[in-house]
Amino acid sequence: MHELGVASEILDIALSEAGRHAAKKVTSIRLRVGVLRAIEPENLSFLFGHLARGTPAEGALLEIVEEPVRVECEGCGASEARSFTIECPRCKGPGVTVTGGDSLSILSLEIDA
Amino acid sequence: MRIEVERAILQSADEAAAAIRELLSGRKIFALNLLSSPGSGKTTLIEALLARFDGKGGVAVVEGDIETEIDAERIRKHGVQVRQINTHSACHIQPTRLLSVLREMDLSETRLLLVENVGNLVCPAEVSLGEDARVVLLSVTEGDEKPLKYPLVFKTSDLLVITKTDLLPYVTFDVERVRRAARAANPAVQIFEVSATTGAGMSLLLDRIEALRAAKNG
Repeated sequence: MHELGVASEILDIALSEAGRHAAKKVTSIRLRVGVLRAIEPENLSFLFGHLARGTPAEGALLEIVEEPVRVECEGCGASEARSFTIECPRCKGPGVTVTGGDSLSILSLEIDA
Repeated sequence: MRIEVERAILQSADEAAAAIRELLSGRKIFALNLLSSPGSGKTTLIEALLARFDGKGGVAVVEGDIETEIDAERIRKHGVQVRQINTHSACHIQPTRLLSVLREMDLSETRLLLVENVGNLVCPAEVSLGEDARVVLLSVTEGDEKPLKYPLVFKTSDLLVITKTDLLPYVTFDVERVRRAARAANPAVQIFEVSATTGAGMSLLLDRIEALRAAKNG
């Protein structure tokens, strides 16, 4: 259920941006979500849909751009992994440091003015 | 029509965390945010810290739980200032809530603030409480795969405390596996192995916390 706080904040930001642009309706919201955030997209969309009822963002589509786990491998220089790992996804070596993959941001909105 | 926004979600939480940081810095208070699964030993570590700082005063505690005052009552027996936050349905302490609790507390003598977050390895990791250091506890009975399953909490913690090490002979728990995974998530993490029952490793950990506190505020 940790998606609830995230969904509520997405709605707040979307509504305030929509208000600033005098939009009648928010039709979609593009998000960047890092794999490390452990956000379940379906759960997020469900909760958002529920919260957005009766607001200009009712029915808005959440479009999630997934950010992979960023890693640095001493062995082969690999820079991405699909999930948290302590061995390199490419060379299977142990010298891996996780450097990113925890983004959580709104990139853009589609609105009807 | 497209509007570019490029804004961090949970920004209002970050703003509250910044306000907490400012409140604590102004009063020269060093704050720890304690995270772990339920039953890993957060309250026990707090009690050990209280014993260590006994007589020096200046410790305040905020307990976070979904329900009950059980932890606050346990800490209150030590004669320190304690407040309980019940989050009800929420899985972590919200910084906005902590900020309003701190504003109600008398922190004039406080030098060390201990915040025990809700027992859970997922949500508390996502939200800063404006703490100076984040401590994650992992007991040996929970299994050595936890840093692989819940990487964010290990990535964002400054100290990892492996607890209940007196039980290592009875469980399958590879300490090296945990150390390796925690370091992959956060190369700067400081790792401690303790047993509150035997006292093993405890003074090293308490020394480190005191050194971190002194480094901030003298």
